[in-house]
Amino acid sequence: MELFLQRLVDGLSEGSVYALIALGLVIIYRGTGHLNFAQGEMALFSTYVVYQFGEWGIPIGIAVVLGMAVGFTLGAATEVAIVRPISKKSPFAVFIVTIGLFQLLNWFDGAIWGGQQLPNSGVGSKQVRFPSLFPNAPTDFVTIFGANIKVQSLGVIGLVAVLTVALFAIFNHTRLGLAMRAVAANGDSANLVGIRTGRVLMASWGLAAAIGALGGVVFAGINTNVNLGLMFTVFIYASAAATLGGFDSPGGAVIGGFSIGIIQNMAAGYAPKWIGQEMKVGVAFLVMLGVLLVRPSGLFGTSRVERV
Amino acid sequence: MTLLRAQGLTAGYGPVTVLHEIDIEVNEGEIVVVLGANGAGKTTTMRAISGTIPRHGTIEFQGHSIQKAAADAIVRAGVAQVPQGRGTFPELSVQDNLLAGAYVRRDGSKAIGDDIRKWFSVFPRLEERATQRAGSLSGGEQQMLAIARALMSRPKLLLCDEPSMGLAPLITQELFNVIGRLNREEGLSVLLVEQNANLAMHMASRVYLLETGVIVASGSAAELSADDSIRKAYLGF
Repeated sequence: MELFLQRLVDGLSEGSVYALIALGLVIIYRGTGHLNFAQGEMALFSTYVVYQFGEWGIPIGIAVVLGMAVGFTLGAATEVAIVRPISKKSPFAVFIVTIGLFQLLNWFDGAIWGGQQLPNSGVGSKQVRFPSLFPNAPTDFVTIFGANIKVQSLGVIGLVAVLTVALFAIFNHTRLGLAMRAVAANGDSANLVGIRTGRVLMASWGLAAAIGALGGVVFAGINTNVNLGLMFTVFIYASAAATLGGFDSPGGAVIGGFSIGIIQNMAAGYAPKWIGQEMKVGVAFLVMLGVLLVRPSGLFGTSRVERV
Repeated sequence: MTLLRAQGLTAGYGPVTVLHEIDIEVNEGEIVVVLGANGAGKTTTMRAISGTIPRHGTIEFQGHSIQKAAADAIVRAGVAQVPQGRGTFPELSVQDNLLAGAYVRRDGSKAIGDDIRKWFSVFPRLEERATQRAGSLSGGEQQMLAIARALMSRPKLLLCDEPSMGLAPLITQELFNVIGRLNREEGLSVLLVEQNANLAMHMASRVYLLETGVIVASGSAAELSADDSIRKAYLGF
């Protein structure tokens, strides 16, 4: 029981990072129909920025807010300067360009913070220590039903829960949220009711990157360091989370993220020896595959049904 | 008084020019109908006026040039378009579709709520389905929703792009009755493009005939129905 609880909380706290990156993927996908392959690397860049602010002596709380602002600017600028002009020529090209951006950002991080020369591979880069957002000394735990739960895990889960609630309030109860949902549903009609779709898409990319920045900071905090490969696997899990939850459902992204985190940790804990630790990746994907066979648009995704 | 005046309006898509220097006017309180077959340029005319495609020529609304204005500025100026094929927001509820229609308004949620209730009373079917996703509505209901959404911005001029498309004649009749009533009772001016000449001619103040991007005839509904060749081609008797 204690072990189960511990694994559950560990899964939730890792899952909350996947949830944040997946949320960004979903926000961008709903707005522009693109899969942003650079979502994880945008988050990594912002995470390094937060690290840099820390080096300059700025307290971590303020550094995170500033880092999210940098992330927002990066995301918004990417939409305006790269995605918008290219998607006019070919929507598919945007996907390729985000792969390029993935590479470019990683090289850039490596040159500045990773102790590497351009072009670098991202492997074996310098690891810099990264502070946790929450108390994380060996003694910082609480005992719940006999299980020792890290304060950091609870903090991370709480933070993501608050952010999710705030995001849903924005989506469902604000002008910007209404505009975002309208643009996602029908961009041409959104234009016809007077919504400046360009601005909404810019804000969507910015918001996605800002949420991603928080995800990166949280994950670096859990890992206690940041390196060039930090977001590689996170991005893959986050993509799986978004697919599992449904690529057009923000709620699905959060639940998908938590589910993958929990499945992973449970599989690692309870699987027989011959499966081993390395196979825990596979278990998450098996579950995803199973869900997609039954519900092709994901758990909470909408298959577009429209009567005419 | 002239509400909308387009002169030498030319528009198209990329290298293809669809509209060739057409002149269209809508006076305050009029219902002006543009008749044309498939591919005549009806939808292009609408898009050129609402600013959703590049266009040349002069377009004035209430004496001000809107030729260079972006689509959202044209909505703010008081021109709302009901796009061809309804163009509702399928994933949003009926209520949210109407709220989105009021996006450009700055007069507060109370006035907007009053307007939603008003259009619910005009289209009771929409009220019954207020919380349903727009995508689940029937074609006729979606057309009602598209018209109500456009009216939520309190336009002075309503652009209607083939509201009869894909609808049963009775439903089309019902919609045209509502448009006619809004015109009489609230002084709403309407520019409507249609293939369905019979119904549209009935309520038109004036009619333009559009053929392959050129206006070939214009006049009152009575004048045009009196012309044998036009009657044969467009009214079928």
